[in-house]
Amino acid sequence: MRRFLLPLILLALFIGESIFVQITPHDLLGSGKIAVPRFLLAGLLFLTIFGSKKYGILYGLLFGLLFDIVYVEIIGIYLFLFPVIVFITTKLMKILQTNMAMASIIVLLGITLLEAGVYQMNLLIHHTDMVFAAFLSSRLVPTLILNAIFIILAVYPFKRLSEKFADSLND
Amino acid sequence: MPQFFLNKRLIILLVSIIILVALIGFSLKDRENLTWPEQFLKDTTGFIQNAVSSPVNYVAGFFENVEDLQNTYKENKELKTRLDELARLESEVQRLKKDNTELREILDKKDSLSEFEPKQATVIGRNPDRWHELLIINKGKNAGIEPNMAVITSKGLIGKVKSSNTFTSTVQLLSSMDPTNRISAEIQAEKSEYGLIEGYDKEKGLLLLKRIPYDAKIKKDQNVITSGLGGVFPKSLLIGKVVDVVPDEFGLTQTAYVKPGADFYDIGHVMVVKRGALQPELMEMVDEKEEEL
Repeated sequence: MRRFLLPLILLALFIGESIFVQITPHDLLGSGKIAVPRFLLAGLLFLTIFGSKKYGILYGLLFGLLFDIVYVEIIGIYLFLFPVIVFITTKLMKILQTNMAMASIIVLLGITLLEAGVYQMNLLIHHTDMVFAAFLSSRLVPTLILNAIFIILAVYPFKRLSEKFADSLND
Repeated sequence: MPQFFLNKRLIILLVSIIILVALIGFSLKDRENLTWPEQFLKDTTGFIQNAVSSPVNYVAGFFENVEDLQNTYKENKELKTRLDELARLESEVQRLKKDNTELREILDKKDSLSEFEPKQATVIGRNPDRWHELLIINKGKNAGIEPNMAVITSKGLIGKVKSSNTFTSTVQLLSSMDPTNRISAEIQAEKSEYGLIEGYDKEKGLLLLKRIPYDAKIKKDQNVITSGLGGVFPKSLLIGKVVDVVPDEFGLTQTAYVKPGADFYDIGHVMVVKRGALQPELMEMVDEKEEEL
């Protein structure tokens, strides 16, 4: 049972992101500012930092594929970015301490990487013509603020969950 | 050099980048239908989303109702003034409708471009990343929804069906930037002018109506509707109102900024519109003699 709790919560975050954008007003942090919920990536990175690296990458691949198919309909963007960001995090964790403050900062860094990566890919396939300065002010900053709030709320529960998940793997 | 090829990680990275490019290329291709694994996954998640979204919408709706109550008095006053006008309009509409059917009977013209049958659907999901403005609705092929049908709310056109699965469909909003997303539009006036809706200005929140003839006289606040000439959408679905007109970069055509009638964000229920008039098949339009050549 304990082994399935974390994937179920990740699935809930996956669906929750879509519900979040639907029920919150679109100009939550001021008009023209787009705050994108990245709760799923935050959950994945917490799992990687506090729990299992292997399962972090595996779930990254799985949920990346699911995200692409269900929400974006272009397969490849999140399928590639989620595992890569999780992989970079595992490398970073080798040289950094594992505590809650450090984990929160790394998750924010991961979200920055994801936003920048998605922006670059959309620029590449001509799905946006936003310039980089506009991207920084109207997307990246509001997104980081929104997700920082989520991270502060979620870091402790996710630490417990991930540690329990890692324990259940050892049993 | 042999060491370079032995580096396992590098090879994995290279192979995955090749697969990534191939996959993106594959999914950007103009696809009629999604592959069955995609459809299956979309339907399965759609089932979960459907189960979750109805209680969530109920709770969210409750708070919205409380907010609405605060404005009721003001709105009521305003609405009362409009009510008198409405009765007059209603009788006129009825008379015109009757006239129209009678005249059609005389002409023996049965199908019209503006005929359509709406199908109700509920929004159960939205793309969270907001780069690609997509909605997921809870009706699919088994309710008769096909790709490229127009999607409207009570206030106007919001987009088209991008793909449909058995139980869910994906709607692409007008505000999403997609070079292939074009809609033939008509500016209502004494002498109607035609153009194409191409693109959306995110900062201003206005649609771009391009390719209007340079000599067309367009005024502010004129209504913009679908023309039905694209062969996909029915005629006279409201798109919005003209806000501003500017000549394009070469001065050959004009571009109008159109304020969309519908809100692209607060969408709960939509109607998918099936065009009554038959859509001409490409094969029918090709001359038979030409085909032989």
